[in-house]
Amino acid sequence: MHPPISLIVFFLTAGTSIGLFIFTYFIEFLTLFGKGSGLPKEVVLVSGIISLVLIGIGAFAASFHLGHKLRAWKAIKRFRTSWLSREAVFSGAYGFTLLIYLFLMYYEINPFFEHFFGILTFIIGILSGFSTAMIYATNKFVLEWNTSLTVLYYLDMYLMLGSALFTIMSLYYGLPYTGTFVFLTFLFVALGFGFRLAFNIRQFYLKRPTLNEALNLPHNRTIRVLDTGSTTENYCTTEFYYRKGKELLSTTLPISYLLTFIVPLILILYAWITGTVNLYIFWTVYLSLLVGSAVERWTFFVEGNHVQNLFYGLYPEEGYKLRKGFMERKETRISLYN
Amino acid sequence: MAQYALVIDLNTCVGCHACATNCKEWNTQAAFGPLSDYDPYGRHPSGVWYNRIMSYEIGEFPNTQVFHLPKSCLHCQDAPCVPVCPTGASYKREQDGIVLVNYDDCIGCKLCSWSCPYGCREYDEADKVMKKCTLCIDRVYDETLPPEHRKPACVLTCPARARFFGDIEDPESEVFKAIEERNGFVLFPDMGTNPGNHYLARTETKINLEEFEKHILKPDNPLFLEVMKRHHVSNKSAETTVEEVG
Repeated sequence: MHPPISLIVFFLTAGTSIGLFIFTYFIEFLTLFGKGSGLPKEVVLVSGIISLVLIGIGAFAASFHLGHKLRAWKAIKRFRTSWLSREAVFSGAYGFTLLIYLFLMYYEINPFFEHFFGILTFIIGILSGFSTAMIYATNKFVLEWNTSLTVLYYLDMYLMLGSALFTIMSLYYGLPYTGTFVFLTFLFVALGFGFRLAFNIRQFYLKRPTLNEALNLPHNRTIRVLDTGSTTENYCTTEFYYRKGKELLSTTLPISYLLTFIVPLILILYAWITGTVNLYIFWTVYLSLLVGSAVERWTFFVEGNHVQNLFYGLYPEEGYKLRKGFMERKETRISLYN
Repeated sequence: MAQYALVIDLNTCVGCHACATNCKEWNTQAAFGPLSDYDPYGRHPSGVWYNRIMSYEIGEFPNTQVFHLPKSCLHCQDAPCVPVCPTGASYKREQDGIVLVNYDDCIGCKLCSWSCPYGCREYDEADKVMKKCTLCIDRVYDETLPPEHRKPACVLTCPARARFFGDIEDPESEVFKAIEERNGFVLFPDMGTNPGNHYLARTETKINLEEFEKHILKPDNPLFLEVMKRHHVSNKSAETTVEEVG
């Protein structure tokens, strides 16, 4: 699949925004039960404004994916059936309720309404992330994405970005939550590493359809594509098969693993063990996560193979091939006589 | 419920692309057009087509056969492209089962094309909306046309008469009978889309050349003299060439 840059920007901004708000409000929420001392008003406001600006940038960036930006409001019409419609509604509602929460927080109007909108924003934020992930996970024609791992990983990435940025805020304002959030960042990055590995390993075991299945022919017939009806590329071959991306995949996949998981994990471990938890290290962790996630999202799109590529002879045959002879699944044949 | 669809006979389809060309010609100037072209006279011409013809070779050399597969929107009965549309621009008509796109509501998010396992939806970069085969709905219901012309442009133009149009749910229709009698099949049956368009399987055709030669070389064949004359002329010209070279 061709990676849309606008959606990658949306992922990064919405992910950081929702992740950051989840942790900010969760600390406030705990004070309702007498746990913890909450956050200074300034921290909540700064964190909330960062979240609001980021979701705004995300929505603006995502509109570049649309052909008709001014008609985007129409996306609320099919809430009942479409995950994209749900994502649009929840993302919009998240920004709106967040704004109200910040307003109530700033003017300290009524603690009930303040927490009511806080809880609402918290839930809608998670639903927004869930809906975005479900757009990919429910697409049964891209087998690589069609798994619950996509959703788990997607939500984990939100928490990963959010907790990393909250650690920076905690360090900046000297809050007593730094230790907890260093641990949480480590936990979510480690979990993300596990989910991404599982996502990649799963691709080795996918039962892929064949051209024979697409054309409803017996499985034992040899068949090959002679001609696809046009001498140049068309929408189907450019949108569903990114040739340049497939060539770069063997480079971008290790880079995404390195920047999203390996570098942050090593830095956090270093900070943990040596006790040098400072802003420099955690800014590096966050930036590494941000750049790594951008590359990872790009890789996620390129890794997806749409079944319509079968008609053009562009669908992988068996297993997962990165480069000829490298990370290639080989079929082993066992014979008694050879 | 009625389901209008195409039935394509792969046995007679010669892969001439006339259906695709006439589809483009009709639809680019009709109600659902235009079908935009990009760089039409340049080095890399491309554009929007509702119908594309794929050619496949089946079997292993020397026992191979080539068949052509015209592929346009299959107007699936459980169309996966319809529920994913966030605006409802993509819809399936209840009265005839035709899947259409309302260009005024389409926001160009491309999600419907991601949800089509057949690659039959194409994004128009010029109009910024998704376009697809309409089964020439503007012809089918046009009462100003003579009844025999109320068919999709591709069906009317097919020189091999390989394309049929009708209601596949109506037992009296030509397409229903063709599917029943000749075991019509669909593409990607495992995907749960239940496509409307059906294909009639290709059957192996064998020509006995010996019998053919015996017949054509008989003196009472009206073409016999012409065959012999051509044979004679070609032999003679071959001799002349040899003489000139010598």
